[in-house]
Amino acid sequence: MKTRLAVVAAGALFLLASVPAIAHHSFAAEFDASKPVKLTGTVTKIEWMNPHAYFYIDVKDESGKVTNWGMEMGSPNGLMRQGWSRNSMKIGDEVTVEGSRAKDGSNIGNARSVTLTGGQKLFAGSSQTTTP
Amino acid sequence: MAPRLRGRFVLPTAAMVVAAFLAASAQERGAAPATPGQPQPAPQGRGRGPAEPPQPTPRLADGTVNLGRVVGEKGIWNVPYITNMGMRLVDDSGKPLAPAADPAGRGRGGAPLGGGEGTAGGGRGGAKAEPWVPFQPWAAAVYDYNSVNQSKYDPEGYCLPPGGPRMFATPYPAEIIQLPEQKRIIMIFEGATHIWREIFMDGRPHPAGDALNPTYLGHSIGRWDGDTLVVDVVGFNEATWLDYFGHPHTDQLHVVERYSRPNKQTLHFEATIDDPGAYTKSFKVAWDIPWRANAELSEYICQENNKYLQRLTDDFGQPVFGK
Repeated sequence: MKTRLAVVAAGALFLLASVPAIAHHSFAAEFDASKPVKLTGTVTKIEWMNPHAYFYIDVKDESGKVTNWGMEMGSPNGLMRQGWSRNSMKIGDEVTVEGSRAKDGSNIGNARSVTLTGGQKLFAGSSQTTTP
Repeated sequence: MAPRLRGRFVLPTAAMVVAAFLAASAQERGAAPATPGQPQPAPQGRGRGPAEPPQPTPRLADGTVNLGRVVGEKGIWNVPYITNMGMRLVDDSGKPLAPAADPAGRGRGGAPLGGGEGTAGGGRGGAKAEPWVPFQPWAAAVYDYNSVNQSKYDPEGYCLPPGGPRMFATPYPAEIIQLPEQKRIIMIFEGATHIWREIFMDGRPHPAGDALNPTYLGHSIGRWDGDTLVVDVVGFNEATWLDYFGHPHTDQLHVVERYSRPNKQTLHFEATIDDPGAYTKSFKVAWDIPWRANAELSEYICQENNKYLQRLTDDFGQPVFGK
């Protein structure tokens, strides 16, 4: 995978503080909090659906190779409470997403935050805090 | 496997531990984390301002405590995400049974606390059965299995209802609607499965024998004990977990819930969990649920596009559903 450069290593604090809460299913069964990703790419597809909204972006690496990533977010009800609407992101927009990569190494991730074309940064996980 | 447990649970349990999770429906239950009755600050958004001063408990015209909206206002109960009810056990005086987390936020065995999916490794981190939860041996084994599996077989991930006290531990808002003239109370839960629950306030008993059909939410009868709504619930099926961490339960589960509203912004929730099929004695969990003013419920239909199921693999790496 030549997308390596897109995979940014981050510190341990990141792990404790910022893995998104998914209220619906096991985070750790699918995603690896120790594999943070920060990707900038062009939106190719949006699924504004339950229980998780997904969007897909084409990410170009240094060599020009394009890889399509799928990113999972919270559900539309939770996202709307976070300031999203179904039109916050449109196909063709350039966005930057930070999150965690799938454990199986596929180009799937769980989004923690998304910086939209206009510069607005929105939280992308569950609408709630997590308590033990 | 352990000693002579009640026959009817030995098989399901063994099956669970091995491979029954391959089946479409989930069969265990988890139950019991965390921090006693501390008010949950501002769940919904990070960075909300300081809490406003407590306002008086609202009441209905007849003086009964109002557990819902005041006429003319909006508002919902902002249910917190309590992933481990084990950390919410309290003794009779309301004192927490779980040891306080160390500043590093780590629990037993170095496992991360406080996170569910919100902490490193997904919040389970291999945490073993809590010694202060009165597990029967098989229930502890199932719990540990869920832990090492990162709760991947959590029925809620299948879009099945949380069930039982977990309805108030799953972070989607809820409403409580009192209908005193109809002698019933309705609770509406936005998630995890967009479900409602009816509490009979007309003095009826639970159905007896086979008339008590096991269900996800059980059969609920309520009464007022002063300013506290007491709801007695039996008739649960075995298709849910007590919590995200996977504390199991059986269909012998009997829950007594107590709801009070010490001020307008706070719903205090307590549940006494008695399940002689899975635990050696009853235990009580408690937490507070904050009011979110000016908010309303919205739609959440979990089953719409559940890719988690499509990607879920079993303990042998094979797809659980689909091809």
